[in-house]
Amino acid sequence: MSSTFLGLETALRGLLAQQRAIDTTGHNISNANTPGYSRQVAELVTTPAFSDLGSGQLGTGVDVVQYQRIRDGFIDIQVRAQTMRQGYTQAQQSGLSQVEQALSEPSDTGLGALLGKYWAAWQNVTNAPDDIATRQALAQSAAALADGINALASQLNTIQAQITQNENLTLVQVNSIGSQIASLTGSIEQAMLAGQQPNDLLDKRDLLIDQLSALGNVTVATSAGAPGTLGSVDVTFGGSALVSGAAAVALGALPGGLTSGQLAGMQAVVTAINAPVTGYLTQLNALAAALASTTNIQHALGKDLSGIAGGAFFTVTASNEAATIAVDPLLLASPGLIAASTSGQPGDGSNALAIAGLQAALAVGGATIDKAYSQLVTQIGSDAQQAQAGLDNASALLDALTNRRQSVSGVSLDEEMVNLLQFQRGYQAAARALTAMDEMIDQLVNRTGRVGL
Amino acid sequence: MTSRITNSMLVTNLLADLQSVTGRLARTQQELSSGKQILKPSDDPFGTSRALALRADLAANRQYQNNVNDAFAWQSVTDTALGSIHDIVLRARDLVVQGASSPTGASGRQALAAEIDQLIESVKTAGNTQYAGQYVFAGAKTTTAPYAPGGADTYSGDNASLLREIGPGVHIPVNVTGAGVIGDGSTVGSLLATLRTISSDLKSNNISSLGTTDLAALDAASDNVSTVIASVGAGANRLQTALARLQQFEESSARLLSNTEDADMAKTLVDYSQQQAVYLAALKAGAQIIQPSLMDFLR
Repeated sequence: MSSTFLGLETALRGLLAQQRAIDTTGHNISNANTPGYSRQVAELVTTPAFSDLGSGQLGTGVDVVQYQRIRDGFIDIQVRAQTMRQGYTQAQQSGLSQVEQALSEPSDTGLGALLGKYWAAWQNVTNAPDDIATRQALAQSAAALADGINALASQLNTIQAQITQNENLTLVQVNSIGSQIASLTGSIEQAMLAGQQPNDLLDKRDLLIDQLSALGNVTVATSAGAPGTLGSVDVTFGGSALVSGAAAVALGALPGGLTSGQLAGMQAVVTAINAPVTGYLTQLNALAAALASTTNIQHALGKDLSGIAGGAFFTVTASNEAATIAVDPLLLASPGLIAASTSGQPGDGSNALAIAGLQAALAVGGATIDKAYSQLVTQIGSDAQQAQAGLDNASALLDALTNRRQSVSGVSLDEEMVNLLQFQRGYQAAARALTAMDEMIDQLVNRTGRVGL
Repeated sequence: MTSRITNSMLVTNLLADLQSVTGRLARTQQELSSGKQILKPSDDPFGTSRALALRADLAANRQYQNNVNDAFAWQSVTDTALGSIHDIVLRARDLVVQGASSPTGASGRQALAAEIDQLIESVKTAGNTQYAGQYVFAGAKTTTAPYAPGGADTYSGDNASLLREIGPGVHIPVNVTGAGVIGDGSTVGSLLATLRTISSDLKSNNISSLGTTDLAALDAASDNVSTVIASVGAGANRLQTALARLQQFEESSARLLSNTEDADMAKTLVDYSQQQAVYLAALKAGAQIIQPSLMDFLR
């Protein structure tokens, strides 16, 4: 036999459950624009039935068993993999586009134009070897060329220095994210031990792992099964352990196993600038060295206006040629010292002509100096183009995957409005049921047995 | 599978699309305002390399044209000087013929000799012709006068040939040395020595030499001057051809460079208006998609 008040309890449970569902909907709506938020659903389950002997089981209403977090872990893995690729290409593209800007080619002011002016200046000296003004013009345009090479080398060095600085800042960020993940994991473990599902904490941790993946290659492993490790994860960054359960391991230096993400992209730019043989700066050094040595060798074969054998035309420091190449200051001060002649006669410009002829000499690894420069520009250009294409590609894929994730976990306001209506009606109906019960009991308590009173 | 479409997806997609359309618009705008389709090497690495090569070619070509023009000027100065020397030789021949004929008396020959002496000075002066401060007949010693008018008949220049580059690796000698035209007083058979001999023969009344060896020597010297003038003319012709070729090459290189680097304005403008239309459509559609929701229709 059921209690008189059973119906009241049933209606009350209905009221409470609908209210919680409405609360959940409100939470979803509030967080519609929160990054990393996964929508939640209040899972309604019927409460255990009352065994009404003789009649069977009588339903006793509804209860919320858990607030479910709607999330697809597989999409998370894909999103993170793509975030790493995107971070890599983004860092690479940004570095290479800086390199490209430093070139300022094609233009009338880049190194290509300066080289052209330099060779032309030697020809002009051939035309008027006894004219000091023409020699002065040569010394100036050679100095402009040397300055141009110096400037490009110093910009390449600046880019590298910036990257190193960025790497250090990023490392600080990595460690900070690592310790946040660790402390969140601690809270998650405790909540889970208490049998609760810490949805919002899990969202926060997933968002942090997403952010971490943009910086470097990340692996996430659930610390499986052991009691007390429920909800715990181990995170590695660039092959080194960063988070182990609730403990963070601060990285002192860049991890060695970086293969993806922004940090690896930055390293790729440094390699592109510095690599032996193919590095941009290496090639620029080779170019400057060839320019200096071929000019100097031919210059030494000639004689200056006073008939004295020529000295060095360019001065360079070995293995750092591009940054140090300069016209010998003596020549700038007295251009008469430029060895334009072979015979020592003032009208003889044959050595200047021979130096102008070096434009066609295969001075840098089987290419002319002009050609070597053009190859360098082309290489930088196609590297930057490739990086841009990679970035576009990775961004498009990441957008698509983010959309897929949003499709599963994102909040649809229309859907929430429908839910809101549904649960509101449920609440109203439960309240009506409660009123009906109340009227029945009122009838029983206050009016029954009053015949004749 | 029917996918759920959420509000943030709509917004993200709209933003991404707007961004890509704006990016393309900005790019086209930049092409329009700069007139270039290659703004940085990565826009077209191959085109950039071609543009660099063409720019280097053009710069070299302009310098070759400068060299040719310089050589032209040099040769025209040389040519004028040689012309005046040739006139002098012709005048000297008249004087020699006059001096070789018997009616011209000893005193007449003295006068002729005086004129020959003047002509010698004129030849030396012509030999000291300058172009832009350079003595054109002095070989490589362009800063020293090769002859000393009123002084000794020595040639103080050298035999160096001055070269101008008029094409890649193509060198053309631009000068004529005084030694090859006027010569030195000590070299028998040179114009200067011949004129000196004539002068002394006139002074010493040496009629037989005047009519024979002197006349023959002067004719030989005159032929030499003519030959040199002809060779300078031939050089000028060569320069003319080279200049025409260089100008043609400059024109075609400049056209190629423009094809490689410059934006096709008509096409770019059409692209621009098309992209603008797409942008406006995207903005309009976006405004309509984002705004309404179920909330606007409830109650």
